[in-house]
Amino acid sequence: MTNPVVTRAPLGRQLRSELRWIVRRPRTVIGLSALCLVPVLAGIGLWFAVDGDGPAGPGLAAIIAGNGLVLPVFTLFLALPLLLPLVGAIWAADGLAGEAQHGTLRGLLLSPVGRVRLLAIKAFGVATMTLAAVALLAVVGAVVGVVLFGGQGMLTLSGNTLPVGAALGRIALTVLLVTVQVWGVAAIAMAISACTEHPLVVMAATMAGVIVSGVLGVFSSLDWLHPYLITSGWNKLVDVMRDPLPTGELWHSTALAGCYVLIGLSLAAMRLATKDS
Amino acid sequence: MNRRRVTVVAAAVGVVAGAAGLGVLAMPAGAGPAPVLPDVSAESLVESVLTARPAAFGGSVEVANDLGVPALADVPQLADGESKLRMWSDGEGRVRVQLPAADAERTFVDDGETGWLWNSADQTVTKLPHGASAEPKLDLDPDGEQVPPDPVAVSREVVAKVKEFSDVAVDGTARVAGRATYELVLTPKPTERTVLREVRVAVDAELRVPLRVAVLTNGTNNPAVRVGFTELNVGPQDATLFAFTPPPGAKVAEQQPTGPTDEDRALAEGALAEARPQVHGEGWDVVITARTPENALAGLAERERPGTPAEDEVDVAGLLARVGKPVSGPWGSGTLITTRIGGVLLADDGRVAFGAVPEQVLTEAIAQVK
Repeated sequence: MTNPVVTRAPLGRQLRSELRWIVRRPRTVIGLSALCLVPVLAGIGLWFAVDGDGPAGPGLAAIIAGNGLVLPVFTLFLALPLLLPLVGAIWAADGLAGEAQHGTLRGLLLSPVGRVRLLAIKAFGVATMTLAAVALLAVVGAVVGVVLFGGQGMLTLSGNTLPVGAALGRIALTVLLVTVQVWGVAAIAMAISACTEHPLVVMAATMAGVIVSGVLGVFSSLDWLHPYLITSGWNKLVDVMRDPLPTGELWHSTALAGCYVLIGLSLAAMRLATKDS
Repeated sequence: MNRRRVTVVAAAVGVVAGAAGLGVLAMPAGAGPAPVLPDVSAESLVESVLTARPAAFGGSVEVANDLGVPALADVPQLADGESKLRMWSDGEGRVRVQLPAADAERTFVDDGETGWLWNSADQTVTKLPHGASAEPKLDLDPDGEQVPPDPVAVSREVVAKVKEFSDVAVDGTARVAGRATYELVLTPKPTERTVLREVRVAVDAELRVPLRVAVLTNGTNNPAVRVGFTELNVGPQDATLFAFTPPPGAKVAEQQPTGPTDEDRALAEGALAEARPQVHGEGWDVVITARTPENALAGLAERERPGTPAEDEVDVAGLLARVGKPVSGPWGSGTLITTRIGGVLLADDGRVAFGAVPEQVLTEAIAQVK
């Protein structure tokens, strides 16, 4: 009896095929196009608001007049509380629960690919698509912002104007910070996704978690709980628009999201390893 | 089978590590072990603080407020909690202070010639004359000679004055914002009738400037107010921090350097003459009393915001009822507002008394107001 020759597909090919698998879904394309509408709508809304008397709104909206490069940052913070977690949850749900629903996960679990490796490939797909979605929002936001509001450089909340290079650096930093936060949510969604075969359950549970932790963050009597909630770091990301850049809170919220990524992926690995194929 | 078990164990370790990481992040940063410093006497420490030269620095200051004032929607600054500010100084009069709010920021820059106040919420810049925000100087003898007194002599005088009513001691060392400090403790003498237990000042061992001040009150170990650096970089600061150019599109308003108008000054002087402020007691249990016209507070609130719609006005009577409690005695009746560092007694007939003292001392003082 001859041993079967162990042939492993190269990792690069597996990752590429996973990405192609996600991008080919019509709902991915539709979803990404819909995401592009967010900065456009926000820009148009603010453009009308700027025409009126006084500031265009609270927070970042107040400094947007003549300061178009703020729009991508504004849009990302607008999308972070609900829209981007939903996007991350959809991809995490399709990755494992969606495959289980179609019965294709069984084939993947039986194939000569380690389960940890399978999870890594799925997580890579979700992470890459999340980064792509956030970057897409930022790029569309920057273009719409410069077209609608113009402006050289970027006026920070502190009243300094950053040159264009530094301004683009701040936008890139915001993209990274926001992406890591969405990864934190998506990792938990992956863990749920590994436990069920209904993608809707994954999305509903993830969004419920995000909303509930947002609500818990409102009560001051629960302030002992706040440092553990991933949503508690989201408001503090606005530090990216201050100058000189205060890094303390940014590191802190990124480390918090990193802990969520570790917990979520570990739970998912635990569930996948013990799953009967 | 074996490989599966390894995976499960590794994943369990990952979950535990992640949860532990959350716990570590949630814990407040520890101050680290107390540094070992040469002994110093309280007197020479205070003297060195009073004669210290300002240094160039940049850092963050945290203000932790636990005054016990009930939370009011109209005045959120009074409510208990923590706030942060960032400041830079070049040691020669140029300063930059940034007050970050939730999603806005106020910046004050004094570039040596002009002060600029920026508010991101309404994109306004206010121009102020240089030195408008200069710290109030220690002035022991306001009516005295104009010659600046010898700082060492002045500091000795201050120490003597403080020691008359308090015990001054150096209580070990501490680490504040990563720097070694002496803990200077001012304790009221037992005869002082005050609600304050002690005031702790952490003095930088090298620069001899206060880095943290905490006010502690009777019956609790949590400071009522604590102001201190959380981050401090001593040394020359980036010169661009002390320059400010109003951004295009911002409204620039210039505040008149003449200060208050004559009308305002006359009004203030009249009010002061009418109020007849008096000081009762000395040392820690000083109580200041005054007499205000009965509707002074309401009138003030209306003057503060001329032309605002009626629903915007502060309802002073309602505010008092929410913050204070009604009290009465042989002296009359009124409203008592207590905080953890003292109280304010507002009598219904317009008499006012306040100080860092318990209620009884306030009522004694207010009874002496004719």
